[in-house]
Amino acid sequence: MKLFKNLIFISLAVFLSLKAQIKLDVNTIPNRVNVFLDGVNLGRSPIVNERIKPGLHKFEIKKSGFAPLSYELLVNPAQAVKLDFFLNPIYEVKFKTEEKGLIFEVNGEHRWDVPLVRLELEAGEHFLRVFKIGEIIDEQMITVDEPKRFNYFLQKPLTSD
Amino acid sequence: MNYILNNIYKIIPIITLLMIFSGCSFIRGPVYPEIIYNNRQPLISVTYEYGEIELILPLKYDAAIPDNILFKVYAQGDTVHPILSILQESPKDFLAYLPQGVLDIQNKTNIVKIIPQDSNFDPVQVRFKGIRFGRLTLPRKTIKMGQLVVKGKTFLNKNDSIIAGASITLQNFDNIINTTSSNRSGYFQIAIPGEYKYAEHLRIVAGENLIFKPFAKKLDFKESRKKNLNIGLGPSNDLKEPLYMTNKDNVHFRKSPEIGSETLFLLKEGEVISVDRVTPGEYFGFIEVLLEDKKLIQLEGWVNRSDLRLLNFNNIYK
Repeated sequence: MKLFKNLIFISLAVFLSLKAQIKLDVNTIPNRVNVFLDGVNLGRSPIVNERIKPGLHKFEIKKSGFAPLSYELLVNPAQAVKLDFFLNPIYEVKFKTEEKGLIFEVNGEHRWDVPLVRLELEAGEHFLRVFKIGEIIDEQMITVDEPKRFNYFLQKPLTSD
Repeated sequence: MNYILNNIYKIIPIITLLMIFSGCSFIRGPVYPEIIYNNRQPLISVTYEYGEIELILPLKYDAAIPDNILFKVYAQGDTVHPILSILQESPKDFLAYLPQGVLDIQNKTNIVKIIPQDSNFDPVQVRFKGIRFGRLTLPRKTIKMGQLVVKGKTFLNKNDSIIAGASITLQNFDNIINTTSSNRSGYFQIAIPGEYKYAEHLRIVAGENLIFKPFAKKLDFKESRKKNLNIGLGPSNDLKEPLYMTNKDNVHFRKSPEIGSETLFLLKEGEVISVDRVTPGEYFGFIEVLLEDKKLIQLEGWVNRSDLRLLNFNNIYK
């Protein structure tokens, strides 16, 4: 009898705690990626009918071939919240030049000096700087939206194959 | 060129060995060791779905139903700005849909004000604790007609001095509906349910606990639910002393002192007579009669001496 009462109490507590929460759905593009909520793995997307409490929460998504995503959301008290994450892909880009004695730098931190290099670049814009004998001789924006091969000619806009 | 062609069988193995040891990078170039991010803001879509609050307030009408009712819903203790105002014909259940999150779900600071569009009804309000969303059914609220109120002062007609502790009753026929008494300042306020608004035989009786004849007046609330009525008790200043009072009911007030003379009135106990002349067995004097137009007149007549006693203003309570 006591066990029965305890079971009822626990069921009621669980029901009330669920009622105080918000329904959570998470979609990702691409799907079938592990979604972490506040460090806890919710499983692979799409996530349906999960529960979340109002307040600040952190979502993290990592998938090979895509930029890792970290997103903090202050969840409002609502009936349901639905999140769609569009992961940013990483493309392989070949960068080639026939110019001699140049040093290339992307986004102020990544440098190389070889005439042909293969880069893994997050989709979007990147800032390219070209140095020669310690001086900046060229600056350009690189837009990456697919796997590409860039050819660099001194002080000319980048061309791709 | 001829040299290359002549030695091609030597060059091919060397290139093959180079490719084996250096991998594809020999042709495709080296791989930069890190992934280069641009920290682009990811595309994220956040969609909230808010629920509704279905607020139900069952109503019950007592005796009468107002034509229309204005409902106002206030939330979170704000009694100035209603979140909803609805004027509708008096419903059986008040039903309103509110957006999620507007109500206080911790305390009873949300209010439904019910304002009947009828002067016979007083506004009432219901305080309640809200929910986040879903259906909320409040306890049934009864809408009653507003109370009928009589207020005023009791005073002595003779000198306008205040009479404290005079009993006040409201009666329908002879049924007492409510009773009170005037306070130290002579002030009284008495209320009865609104259902008596159209009662034909409603009256106020004051001073039954005094030695004087009680004051009685028919009441009519058809025009207004509230009445101010200052009640004068006892004889007026116009009655000259000495003053006597009847000591029992049905005292004969006669036209002349002779035995068998015409009886003008039968006086109740407490009727005051201003005695003017005296015979061995009879007193001649004046009584006051209040006419319907509130005019007070004096009538003369004879009363048996044994039916009277001298009026003592030092103790007017029974």
